[in-house]
Amino acid sequence: MLVKITYPEVTKCALHQRKLIHILRWPAGLAVYICPIVNIATGGVAWSLLVLFGIYLLWRFLLATDLVEYNRISQSSKLTLALCGAVGLVDILFSLNIALFVMPMLCFTGLCIASILFFTDLQKQKQNMLPMLFFLFICLIAGLLGVFLYKANFAWIYILLFTTSVGLLLSSIVLLGEDFLLEFKRRFHTR
Amino acid sequence: MKTKEKPKSTDSLISPNMDTMEKPLEPFQQYLQSLCAEDRERIELFFQDFTCQCQLNKQNTKLMREDFERAFLLYHAQGIPLAQALKRLNLKYLGGFYARHSQLWFPLDDAAKIYPISLGHGSMSLFRVSAYLYQDVVPELLQIALHFCMKRFPSFATTLKKGVFWHYLDSSKRRFLVEEERDIPCQPLAVNLSASQSFRVLHYHNRISVEFFHVLTDGLGGMCFLKVLVAEYLRLLGVEIQHGASLWDINDTPQYSEFENAFSRVPKGEKSSGFIQRMAVQMNGRLSETKPCRVLHFNMSADKLKAVAESYHTSVTVYMLAQIFYAIRAATDELQGEIAVQVPVNMRKFYPSKTIRNFAMYCGIRIPLEKELDFPAMLAEISKQLKEKSGKEIQTEMLNSTVRLVNTMKYIPLVIKQPIAKAVYGILGDKVFTSALSNLGQVALPPTMAKHVRSMDFVLGTSRSNRALCGLLTVNKVSTLSISKMTLDPSFEEKLYDLLCQDGLEIEVEGSSSYVG
Repeated sequence: MLVKITYPEVTKCALHQRKLIHILRWPAGLAVYICPIVNIATGGVAWSLLVLFGIYLLWRFLLATDLVEYNRISQSSKLTLALCGAVGLVDILFSLNIALFVMPMLCFTGLCIASILFFTDLQKQKQNMLPMLFFLFICLIAGLLGVFLYKANFAWIYILLFTTSVGLLLSSIVLLGEDFLLEFKRRFHTR
Repeated sequence: MKTKEKPKSTDSLISPNMDTMEKPLEPFQQYLQSLCAEDRERIELFFQDFTCQCQLNKQNTKLMREDFERAFLLYHAQGIPLAQALKRLNLKYLGGFYARHSQLWFPLDDAAKIYPISLGHGSMSLFRVSAYLYQDVVPELLQIALHFCMKRFPSFATTLKKGVFWHYLDSSKRRFLVEEERDIPCQPLAVNLSASQSFRVLHYHNRISVEFFHVLTDGLGGMCFLKVLVAEYLRLLGVEIQHGASLWDINDTPQYSEFENAFSRVPKGEKSSGFIQRMAVQMNGRLSETKPCRVLHFNMSADKLKAVAESYHTSVTVYMLAQIFYAIRAATDELQGEIAVQVPVNMRKFYPSKTIRNFAMYCGIRIPLEKELDFPAMLAEISKQLKEKSGKEIQTEMLNSTVRLVNTMKYIPLVIKQPIAKAVYGILGDKVFTSALSNLGQVALPPTMAKHVRSMDFVLGTSRSNRALCGLLTVNKVSTLSISKMTLDPSFEEKLYDLLCQDGLEIEVEGSSSYVG
């Protein structure tokens, strides 16, 4: 069967993301398997949870990235929440008592970054409204809970987080106007 | 200590000061300067009109403007008078599409909902349609043709978004790109970036190809777009094309019926059928890391193919299916199990619809390996199964199942149903079939266009388990069977080639070399 070649020659390209996933899943899987076993065997602090969480973060953010809606706003907000999770985990494992102070600071920083990305290119970024709003609501609820539940020296952080979230939410509604409702309709459609 | 002074005017004669030298003119500026005042004014008016017609962001507007500049330069190089160039590039063909922000959005049709859910790295439901012309493609004009065509296909001028319950297509006004083909066919599209396209337009020598993510459309819809794109491209080359029922006019206003989810219009019945089927036998050969690892096209005379099928008192689809079954038998070492070939069924023939969104179901022709059938018996068995399973009643039952499943899951958030659906799809997926044959049938082209199109082909995208997928269509008395291979083992296509040649068909084989990762 003689085949007339009618497609371009494709040169061997640099390692594609999927090849990297294919190769790296084995050492990652090995680490996921070995670390808890070693941790349980040696006892002590459950450091393997941190290792597993770190592997998850690396995998999620560097290798197996989102296949739909991978943009700076969604990634920065997800990374912020992931870092909050990491801080919480460290706090639980090592009893540092810093999480309730550090987490709202992280959220506030993440909120500032996301809102700068959102508001400086509003026309384009309003299509990425849901990740932004989702993060805003989480920060708003966290701030509100913190204000009522955490009446220590650092309550100001929660007040800052709450008021910033409310301010940004109202700004989004005012600036986007009708687009805000339309975007909601699209995001929550069940058709 | 005295500082060394800069060279004075006498030195500038020998080595002139670079600040005072004129920068070389860009080609388009040079072209403008070569024109008379009247022509220059006409072009300036053209681009003033362009500023009103194109209200995209700065970068996209600049790039689109450059596209038109390149088109003018091309026409000038070809000796086309400016009046003719202005007529062909008339901005009325943009139709204000790029001048206004769109609020359009499209919920995915019921067949498309699974595609973003089952997306994986390197795994995407894609297909490709291509047209082969008699001369090499002029990329500058193809780019302009794409700019002009997009307004007629608003559901393609979208980007995939994730809602809380379902994905959807959100309108995305941007400069849609034409690229030179450099990569393996049917590679996954990056649909995750802001305003990313869910299709790609490629050119290579005399071939224009469009690859679609299945969320946008099915084979018929994709072919509709390709025909319009090629027609517009030919018009820019100076060919007068007659539009009609077989070819959309880009200047017609898009209608709702052309972009509806036709699944919702089908009358709901009580009966529905299940999707779960037995696992099918898979062909031999290690699944290649690079998918597809080869694409082949069997070009043959449509009249001869039809004559051969008629000599067996059967249709082309049944004949081809039978040959595929035999080729699969030769490509597997298994002695037991079922060979199953998936055959898409166009629902428009049962429920007329103008939609170019997905509107197809499928049936599976299943024959046990243990059943030793001679060719006439094979044809009879396939014909019987095809008639039963692709009939209106059974297809409607399957459609009802699809709609029912979608309705059941619609209030479950994506974050819950996506991993479950993905896991189920991963386990079952395409393992219930050995291969697929999708026949787009006779592609109708207006006579004024048909004489410029040598042939067309239809390539199915990759599969997780199936080693070969087949697409068939006929245009201008040329039938093309396209095989996309997921294994380097050549047993299937070599056997199929031999079988078809044994029946007197003269086959010209074109395609790619093997892509070894």
